[in-house]
Amino acid sequence: MKTIKYFTLRLMAVAAIAIAFALPAKAQVTPFTYFNVDWQFNAPISNNFANKASGWGMNFEGGYYVLPDLSIGAFINYHTNNEYISRQTLPISNSAALTTDQQHSVFQLPFGFATHYRFSDGACQPYIGLKLGANYTKMSSDFYIYEVKDNTWGFYVSPEIGMNIYPWTNSIGFHLAAFYSYSTNKGTVFNYDMDKLNNFGFRVGVAF
Amino acid sequence: MVSCEKDPDMDKLDNEYLVFTSHDTSTKFSDFSTYYIPDSILVIGDKKDPEYWKDENAQTLINTFVTKMNAAGYTRISEKEDADLGLQVSYVASTYYFQGYYNDGPWWGYYPGYWYPGYWGGNWGGGWYYPYPITYSYSTGSLLADMVNLKNAPEGQKEKLTVVWNAYISGLLGGSSNLNVNRATTAINQAFTQSPYLKK
Repeated sequence: MKTIKYFTLRLMAVAAIAIAFALPAKAQVTPFTYFNVDWQFNAPISNNFANKASGWGMNFEGGYYVLPDLSIGAFINYHTNNEYISRQTLPISNSAALTTDQQHSVFQLPFGFATHYRFSDGACQPYIGLKLGANYTKMSSDFYIYEVKDNTWGFYVSPEIGMNIYPWTNSIGFHLAAFYSYSTNKGTVFNYDMDKLNNFGFRVGVAF
Repeated sequence: MVSCEKDPDMDKLDNEYLVFTSHDTSTKFSDFSTYYIPDSILVIGDKKDPEYWKDENAQTLINTFVTKMNAAGYTRISEKEDADLGLQVSYVASTYYFQGYYNDGPWWGYYPGYWYPGYWGGNWGGGWYYPYPITYSYSTGSLLADMVNLKNAPEGQKEKLTVVWNAYISGLLGGSSNLNVNRATTAINQAFTQSPYLKK
């Protein structure tokens, strides 16, 4: 076990869980790997298009511990943020205009490489992690029976802190994480320009 | 994975009509003084002979166009052959005749009973000319208004009649295909509000 100085507040937060369950030394189903399936909550930071936070997303990832505390692996997650835009007149071109209300959506699908550095290999495994990869993002406006959209691609990077908790031996556990993400996607729908995406959020799910 | 996207809640959209307007940017509307508008609305239906909508509701809509054109500085006249501009209004009651046509316009020209350039009294054998892209697709319950340039319109078998402004008003989803006259009137007013270049 690492010394207690690495746990501080995080250890205090899970202390009740640790006490409630008898904590074995190694609890993962496959000790040298981890897999997470999470529900995701995502809050955009001013993408100029659809800024309402939502819980419409999931995260899937897994890794192999190439060193006792360092894993490399892969991830994919998806998320939708919507925002209702009230009626306005939009300039379509220098010759056309459109008056309508809209439902804006930003659908993100980042995927790529994931790495964790964990501070314990016991039942509670706090970690810091980094995701790097590509981000497919569709920005779309839906109005009446029409949809106008822009499909974009960008580079994606996302640091996170989290914890995998394995209360029972060789059984499923829990996963908690907080993340920030940045991607370079650019897109335009009508007169809305989206230039880079910044988000933050958290994930809750299972670990095994 | 793209099917994991959450569809937006379309119930949150209001029930007012969509108003799309386009115009020819090279046309100087201040060059025109008079206009003619028929006293009925062409109904694009599922019959190959045209029908015309002339009742009180149709007159309400036509009178809205008249009010806005007059306010923009034009004078309505009773002889179409003498008018600088022609304004033809159509209502899409059925898209039966458009199955198989591409989803951009001017698809309505394929309706057997659609206004033809000769209606305006001249010989434009080449048909219509839209100097700007039409990007919306057909839908039942839509009102179309085309403004044609009759003043500067050379005639001939290969000549085309130019549409200098048009408005597409729509918003009915399912349910009755009857146009909501109050909402349509609001939408016609909006079409002129977002077309300030029409003002003389």
